Amino acid sequence: MAQPATESEFTLDTAAQLAREEGGGGREIRGRSPWYLAWRRLRRNTVALLALLVFFLIVAACLLAPVFANHVAHTGPNANHVLERVNVDGQPTPVLSQGGYLNKKTLQPCSTGGSDCKLFSSIPIGPTWFSGGGRFVLGADSNGRDVAVRLLYGGRVSLFVGVISSAICVTLAIVLALLAGYFGGWVDFIITRFFDLFFAFPAVLLGIALGSALAINGFHHFGLNIGSGSIWIPTLVISYVLIPYVGRPLRGQVLSLREKEFVEAAISQGASPLRIMYSDLLPNVASSVLVFFTLIIANNIVLEAALSFLGAGVQPPTASWGTLISDGQTLIVTRPWLSLAPGIAIVLTVLALNVFGDGLRDALDPRAKVRVEH
Amino acid sequence: MTRRRARLVTTAALAAAALALVAAGCGGSSKSSSGGGNETTTSGGTSSSGGKTFANFRIAYDQGIDFLDPGLSYTVEGWGIMWNVYLPLLGYKHANGPDGATLVPYLAQDMPTVTNGGKTYEFTLRKGIKYSDGTEVKASDFKSTIERDFKVDSPGVGFFGNIVGADEYGKTKKGDISGITADDATGKITINLNAPQGDFEYILATTFAAPVPPSTPDKDQSTTPAPSTGPYMIKSYKPNKQAIVVRNPNFDASKFDGNVPAGNPDKMTIDIIGDDSVALQRVISGQDDYDFHQIPPDRLSSVQQKYADQIKVYTPANTYYFFMNVRVPPFDNLKVRQAVNYAINREALIRVYGGLGQPTEQVLPPTYPQYKKISMYPYDLAKAKQLVEQSGDKGMEVTVWNHDRGSDPKATAYLTDVLNKIGFKAKEKIVNSAVYWTTVGNQATKAQIGFADWFQDYPHPLDWFDVLLNGNRITQTHNNNYSNFDDSAVNAKIEALKKEPSLNSKVNGEWAQVDKMVAEQAPWAAFMNRQFTDFFNSDMDLSCYINHVLYQFDFATICHK
Repeated sequence: MAQPATESEFTLDTAAQLAREEGGGGREIRGRSPWYLAWRRLRRNTVALLALLVFFLIVAACLLAPVFANHVAHTGPNANHVLERVNVDGQPTPVLSQGGYLNKKTLQPCSTGGSDCKLFSSIPIGPTWFSGGGRFVLGADSNGRDVAVRLLYGGRVSLFVGVISSAICVTLAIVLALLAGYFGGWVDFIITRFFDLFFAFPAVLLGIALGSALAINGFHHFGLNIGSGSIWIPTLVISYVLIPYVGRPLRGQVLSLREKEFVEAAISQGASPLRIMYSDLLPNVASSVLVFFTLIIANNIVLEAALSFLGAGVQPPTASWGTLISDGQTLIVTRPWLSLAPGIAIVLTVLALNVFGDGLRDALDPRAKVRVEH
Repeated sequence: MTRRRARLVTTAALAAAALALVAAGCGGSSKSSSGGGNETTTSGGTSSSGGKTFANFRIAYDQGIDFLDPGLSYTVEGWGIMWNVYLPLLGYKHANGPDGATLVPYLAQDMPTVTNGGKTYEFTLRKGIKYSDGTEVKASDFKSTIERDFKVDSPGVGFFGNIVGADEYGKTKKGDISGITADDATGKITINLNAPQGDFEYILATTFAAPVPPSTPDKDQSTTPAPSTGPYMIKSYKPNKQAIVVRNPNFDASKFDGNVPAGNPDKMTIDIIGDDSVALQRVISGQDDYDFHQIPPDRLSSVQQKYADQIKVYTPANTYYFFMNVRVPPFDNLKVRQAVNYAINREALIRVYGGLGQPTEQVLPPTYPQYKKISMYPYDLAKAKQLVEQSGDKGMEVTVWNHDRGSDPKATAYLTDVLNKIGFKAKEKIVNSAVYWTTVGNQATKAQIGFADWFQDYPHPLDWFDVLLNGNRITQTHNNNYSNFDDSAVNAKIEALKKEPSLNSKVNGEWAQVDKMVAEQAPWAAFMNRQFTDFFNSDMDLSCYINHVLYQFDFATICHK
């Protein structure tokens, strides 16, 4: 039997040993990292894990877009099939029905009018649900483009913009929050005024203004040359306008941490500001950052859709879920799936990310109240 | 000197139109319209307002109004309203069909006396005509109006460049235009030209030449409308929201020999609506009386089925085309331009527009008597690819330009796909419709290829070839020749034909030749003469409906049941 340790030598291992002794040879108690504890809590949250699974399935489907396009739909996302016909249940069906001012009997165009002429609708093919041999599963748009293929390719773009803009936004927000919170004084003053400036404009309106301006000539400053049609334009615009929404709460946390004893101790030991920010402050805000990152992806996907819908985001012919909703808008009465399909994709993705983000927040810090609001 | 718009006038019984227009000595368009196959309007009679007045005509308009200043507006939307507000010396008959292309005196007492080998035009102003603010219209107001056009940088100044002294005045904006003299006492106006100009009377009938008081500020007056001479005056205009047009209290129709009707509505409420479906719904529900928008292509059948008697279909004199900038690679290469012409399937493009249109490969629309059908570029993708291979420009990056309004962006999506198929790396550039034309009309933009359409300013081939394709008229900004097409043979032919005082069969044949010469050089890929719809609610009496060759539906002459 081991000798009990003296009071001055009491450690977690000793406690574990004592517990073992008291329990009559029970389990060993190990020291657990906060990340492990968080994972254990998250593991118990089935709904959050299910949401993560849904998100991964959506990502996987979008990544497999070229496979679907090449081997199932046999078309690209921007290929027009205006005059083609597709076999649906063995019946050749026009991708875009012949409309216009036509002779009722011959269906030939009427140029001069007359009692035999009447107006006919021109409507794209609706969802074939695989009865068309994998072609036009969700129907076609008014250019005869396969909506299912564009939905998957559009998902790649929307997810890219959402994830990358979130990464850029959160990274810049962390840097600014650490600088403002740690140094305080005039550094804090300048950075918080920068945040205030952005808060003065609603994020969507600021995004529309910047997106519209850059959509014409692109961005050619500070050594960056981004063409007007590039998806980097909406990506950077979205990341830019949301910086204060992440940076401000993080700055508050850093301000609070800055007064803690362990920071004072690091300063008294001569640690450099950079080291303190990297080694002491950053790890303590990491859980908030992770939650912010998850939630803001969902937020940015919605913002991208809004900007693209209004023509200030992803530029045609590149598909994104926002542009697809916009394209389908004019056919909402006769072909609602054109807008519904990308709408459902956005709802599922955002819902999955929000539910998972909430679960992650509960797991990392059950007391935290991290919200992305604007 | 541009005039592009979402839409315009005229359809036609072609033969009748051609005959009538040749007789009238002008190229032009005609019109007949059919209401859902049940109704055809071919009457050429002018309308009167006797006993048909009603309180308010509510219009669901589109967002195409650029200005409501007669010196600045250059869109169908702007001109459609101002036709009945600001009267020029000459104007068009308020009539359906070819008759509408006939010029009649408006503010002038008679048609001009042309002397000096076609270089001098003399008018006498009608007596006792007043502006809506009560001040009298003077002969000198015409001169100050043309000078104001130069001062406000009007898109119409190019039309007046042939007036003696106009070019100098345009450069300095000082002194006056020496080629215009006016005597307020007698009302006599004399205009001296540098050279004879066959379309000058039509130019004097444009809104740019409609007199406004000399005190009118030399800046945009859209929201503080200038006093008017016509049957109506603009009471208020809130851009992108609403315009209110009311009767001009000082207008007396009896002074115009029946050439300018007093109009039936006492007031016109013009609601500016952004969306086609919303505009349609407003008319169906009775919120508005007339839908200026196009019926969405997927709703045509259902609207036809329920409201056949309330629809009019018409084909204005218009051409939809893709311009190719011959100064910028790869379109500086004829083979590439021809390849694009072979690669586009015009039937497919028409279907993209809902099927409302006829395919074309040439500049002039079929309603013109100078029109001679050109079939030079049948759809042949393989040949197009081969031409691109031969050009040595395969793989080059191409940006396709367009604005963001209506169905036009769909044409760009189609063209971009086609360009990628024939070996280019094409992408789209869609810009706001408010800045699109000035952007592609600026040489600094170096737009390679893009969408354009053209609706006649006046029924004459010069409005097409001289304005759009004469290399001598290429400008640094506000350029209408988006292709920068500058072919010496074509230029010489246009300049020679410009001096022809009238259009006869020989001259018409010459114009047809110009059309062919242009098609061979392929600065455009023309693809469609588009058809349009007018839709009314059931309260309107369409027996009064007039669709004019230039201004399309005449708001002033419509009747209420």
